[in-house]
Amino acid sequence: MNVVSRGIRNAFRNVIRTFSIVIILGLSIGLSLTMLIAHQAVGDKIQSIKASVGNTVSISPAGARGFEGGGNPLTAANLNSVKSLPHVLSNVATLSDRLTSSNSSLQSAIDAGALGKRFSQNSGFVFHAQTGEAIGVGGPGGGGSFSFTPPVTVTGTNAPTNLSAGPLGGGGTFTLKSGSVFSANSTADVALVSTSIASKNNLKVGSSFTAYNTAVQVVGIFDAGNTFSNNQVILPLATEQNLSSQTGDLTSITLNVDSISNVSTVTSAASKALGSSADVTNAASDAQTTITPLQNIQSISLYSLIGAVIAGAIIILLTMIMIVRERRREIGVIKAIGGSNVKVMGQFMVEAVTFTFMAAVIGIGLGVLAGNPITRLLVNNSSSSASVATPFGGGGGRVLRAGGHGFGALRNNFSNIHAIIGWNIILYGLAAALIIAIVGSGLASLFIAKIRPAEVMRVE
Amino acid sequence: MLEVKKIKRLFKSGDLQVAAVNGVSFSVPDGQFASIVGRSGSGKSTLLSLLGALDKPTSGSIKVDGEDITQLNDHSLIRYRCQKIGFVFQSYNLVPNLTAAENVMLPMEFAGVGAKERQERAVTLLQQVGLTENEIGRKPGRLSGGQQQRVAIARALANKPKLILADEPTGNLDSQTGKMIFDLLHGLAKSEKTTIIVVTHDLEIAGKTDRAFQLKDGKLQEKK
Repeated sequence: MNVVSRGIRNAFRNVIRTFSIVIILGLSIGLSLTMLIAHQAVGDKIQSIKASVGNTVSISPAGARGFEGGGNPLTAANLNSVKSLPHVLSNVATLSDRLTSSNSSLQSAIDAGALGKRFSQNSGFVFHAQTGEAIGVGGPGGGGSFSFTPPVTVTGTNAPTNLSAGPLGGGGTFTLKSGSVFSANSTADVALVSTSIASKNNLKVGSSFTAYNTAVQVVGIFDAGNTFSNNQVILPLATEQNLSSQTGDLTSITLNVDSISNVSTVTSAASKALGSSADVTNAASDAQTTITPLQNIQSISLYSLIGAVIAGAIIILLTMIMIVRERRREIGVIKAIGGSNVKVMGQFMVEAVTFTFMAAVIGIGLGVLAGNPITRLLVNNSSSSASVATPFGGGGGRVLRAGGHGFGALRNNFSNIHAIIGWNIILYGLAAALIIAIVGSGLASLFIAKIRPAEVMRVE
Repeated sequence: MLEVKKIKRLFKSGDLQVAAVNGVSFSVPDGQFASIVGRSGSGKSTLLSLLGALDKPTSGSIKVDGEDITQLNDHSLIRYRCQKIGFVFQSYNLVPNLTAAENVMLPMEFAGVGAKERQERAVTLLQQVGLTENEIGRKPGRLSGGQQQRVAIARALANKPKLILADEPTGNLDSQTGKMIFDLLHGLAKSEKTTIIVVTHDLEIAGKTDRAFQLKDGKLQEKK
């Protein structure tokens, strides 16, 4: 029998009280762990979203996105004014255009369908029934029958080795299937064509097609992973500018920034440098809109975690004060027969630790069981709010954006949150129990120290 | 040898100072059995607290084997109580969730006695005060008042103290059991050569001790 074994035995002196304390404390520790699990899961998801967004700033001509809107193209001077801004590591400049039967031998890999026809009507242009060539200005309900074949997108780029990050529109992922990629500064009349275009037009590496009345040789065939992205051809930037008679013109610039924390700074600097001639955006702002509800959950879970730990400490504190008051005489007797303050305090601290470790077992069990469901509940509620609060999407299916991640894609992350409950969580639970026990029994120890052994004689 | 010289213990009561013990002096040689009688509120328990180093006198000195315990610091006082004093209380004050043997082992644990030795000594002491093997393993709640007081006496003897202080040791017992306890203490004083001071209001018991003192209004008078 020593201080430790006496402390443990004392924890079971009143079984009903011990059971009640352990259950209440267990709930408190369980809530702490659940909130810790939610906090970690949401934190991991925020990091994951930030990482998936990438450190990029997108620059488009003012008033234009892809093939929608209007205004004037960006220029080489615009590129020069932003490519050397602080924190900018590299850039991807592109010039996008459309190839139709009037300027190319290529046939589109996509059928118009009902959506294509509707988009065509609403775009204000009417295309020739057989050729797909624009033949006049129309409008919704403009009358007359026509058919529409979606044009082939042609993109000139100065970054052929980084196609997934910039020029490849529609969220596609570039995979070279055959041939090779042209060099960044190439001026040759060469192209990369998608598997769909190659198949539709019977093209192979080495064969040629006509674009802008010029023969262009296929040097590589790629797969972009989706139908929309596979309806395109990629040329060297200089070649596209030359063939389309748009020397020096650009339709987009993507700046790669050294850190996501500097994206906002670079966005501001680029806006300042380009003035009203360009629209400067970054995916991080979309991501921020998406992760704000997650950050709110993170804050709520953190406050709840702190609250639950404090509640646990108060429970054990009040319990220990009650027990010390109840055993005042016993403490006096122990001191009278030679027990020091340290030994008596140690005995009560062991008792408090025993309570909290029993509660920790219950709390860890609750945390493991409730961690995922509560995290999902919090996130789903927040996801609903976010959907209502932010009605603007990523700008339409035909917009070419860096990284290809729209707001909708980010929002989908909400449903993929999964809390991982590992040994670290259990260790945190035990550590929380120990902290609660020490904090909770600390004040009680002061009461013990103040009890004078003479008091045991006075009550005789 | 216990030597008490002019000890005073003053308490504040509002603006007044009340002397619970007022200039008490006496001495008791080793192995003597002395009693202090007095009415309730006469200062008996306060005097016992001072002798047992549970409280400090306002003035005066208390020497046990030549060592003035009023000059000891808190750490030394704990050691003094542990090694030189044994207490027996009116209501026994045993720890309720420990067995009789564990209660007796408690002061030995505080004194740093090894586990095996304290187990053996606890059994010996409990047998000496008349507990059976079965009773030794019982918790206080399953022992009679007399048996509990025997355990308390065994606990007081655990560290072979120079002085045993007993505060109304028979106060909660019937007369027959009280007499048995008194005889036990008397016998121990002789066999263990331990000085025993008993505070009581029972004049019959006081009449049987080697020496008897009366405490009245904080002043001590020897009656026998």
